[in-house]
Amino acid sequence: MKKIISFLLVLTFVLMGATVSYAENFPRLVDGAELLSKYEATEIESRLNEISERQKLDVVIVTTDELYGKSPRDFADDYFDSGYGFGNNKDGVLLLINMEERDWYLSTRGFAVTAFTDAGIDYMAEEFVPYMSDGDFYRGFEVFTRLCDEFITQAKNGEPYDRGNLPKEPLGFIWIVVAVGVGLVVALIVTASMKRRLKNVRSKTEASDYIRKGSFNITNSRDLFLYRNVSRVKIQTNSGGSSTHRSSSGARHGGRGGKF
Amino acid sequence: MDSMMEYKCPCCGGAIGFDSAVQKMKCPYCDTEFEMDTLKEYDEELKKSAQEDMSWEKKSSEWEEEDENNVAAFVCKSCGGEIVADKNTAATSCPFCDNPVIMTERLAGSLKPDFVIPFKLDKNAAKEGMKKHLQGKKLLPKAFKDENHIDEIKGVYVPFWLFDADVDANMRYKGTRIRSWSDGRYRYTETSYFSILRSGSMGFDVIPVDGSSKMPNDMMESLEPFDFSEAVDFQTAYLAGYLADKYDVTAEESEERVNTRIKGSVERSFASTVIGYSALIPESCGISLKNAEEKYALFPVWILNTTWNGEKYVFAMNGQTGKFAGNLPVDKGAYHKWLWGLTAAVGAGFYLLATLIHYLF
Repeated sequence: MKKIISFLLVLTFVLMGATVSYAENFPRLVDGAELLSKYEATEIESRLNEISERQKLDVVIVTTDELYGKSPRDFADDYFDSGYGFGNNKDGVLLLINMEERDWYLSTRGFAVTAFTDAGIDYMAEEFVPYMSDGDFYRGFEVFTRLCDEFITQAKNGEPYDRGNLPKEPLGFIWIVVAVGVGLVVALIVTASMKRRLKNVRSKTEASDYIRKGSFNITNSRDLFLYRNVSRVKIQTNSGGSSTHRSSSGARHGGRGGKF
Repeated sequence: MDSMMEYKCPCCGGAIGFDSAVQKMKCPYCDTEFEMDTLKEYDEELKKSAQEDMSWEKKSSEWEEEDENNVAAFVCKSCGGEIVADKNTAATSCPFCDNPVIMTERLAGSLKPDFVIPFKLDKNAAKEGMKKHLQGKKLLPKAFKDENHIDEIKGVYVPFWLFDADVDANMRYKGTRIRSWSDGRYRYTETSYFSILRSGSMGFDVIPVDGSSKMPNDMMESLEPFDFSEAVDFQTAYLAGYLADKYDVTAEESEERVNTRIKGSVERSFASTVIGYSALIPESCGISLKNAEEKYALFPVWILNTTWNGEKYVFAMNGQTGKFAGNLPVDKGAYHKWLWGLTAAVGAGFYLLATLIHYLF
């Protein structure tokens, strides 16, 4: 019994020590470009840590003023490969912000490649990039971490967000306007028909009641073809999934980036 | 010259009228019924005897001056009371003794109708028709239904011009056909243009046009169709007990109306033979009439007058088929209640459905 307790204690210390040292060597927020205040940085980092530990998947944010000649993709992949990632597959995701060229890049590895599909990352970018463009990086990172949590949870349920299966936003205000418009049109049609029942005095435009039976005959009937026009439109392909590539260290990464 | 006549019951001497229920002349006093054919002969006899009455001639010439003022006076043969009538009135009843009288001179010569459709429905049927007309109308003011009472109800033989014509038509249309297919990479849409020609003929029988300026044309057209197969050769006796007008709109003046209707029917009939096109635009339309012919007939119409909130409402019922026509007032309050209520209900339903579809798919 004593042996078991001491073993558990040792195990706990080892694990704690490992986590602490891990966090020191590889912080999940590296604000090289100093975009956040100290308070904001603490907030974001604690959030990143919480999500990463809970989901067993590293969520990392790196900001920099320089890429040292690398492309945003290579820089992000290499930064991640330097030691991040949970488990054997090195599960994790890294968001790189490069202030020099105003690039963002999201690099994924391991399970994150499955969780963050191309369409999924595009959807995320639509949500957080506008904040970055406005210079509100704190809000941008906040949205990013929240979305990461949602995307990972969704992927663990077996159906990662992808084309045709993206998170649903509540219907916008425009839909209320549309609904009232549709309601008004239907109501106008219905009440107009009710009104029409009150006005049944109408002139006749035809004399179809008085056509002599069997008197209608066509003596000449020709349909002449004149000319034709053909137009063509390219069909939009509709495939989902994640595109992947190899980083300089040979690891398989997914990801996507852009400007903000 | 005979200007007015009355049918007397050969049994009791009472004034008799046409009974729509038995389709015969019936004496309201002694219940004796008479066949129409019998009365035709009786009619002839009456004319002969009337011609012997020389005293009428003077008086009628005297009244001709008044004729210009759109009214004419007659002396009732039953009670001697003076009947003042519109210059187009051909049949009416004496305001003093209520006996039916007929102004034969307004139905003679070129004014003699070729056909008449006798009344089949009586005054009570007209009242029932009115009641039915007010039913199931959600926007009708409730007060109109409750407070409504008929001021006047009268059976009128309305003069109609009946037009027969054969029509030759040459129509040209421009049509388009759309075909679309895809080969995996592109979606193709092919639009083909055609010129479509159709010639042919069709015939029309007895298209009626209202020949009385007193009766609104649209109201009379709303009562159509009349079943012309039930029309009979005109006899003045059918008019006894009803009102009748002679025409005051000539056949020539009515032609425009009938041409519009013929054109509408021809255009539709020919367009219905052009099939398989997604869009059809008429380009030219040549219509010519052949063997155009008109006849003069009297059709039975019940006219009901009511007043509500100081406004007059006129209704008409086809005296043969019972078809009812007449505009009713709209309850503004009820209209807005329905309009906004429906807007809210449909709008909410649509929003819910949109939300459901949005989250499910």
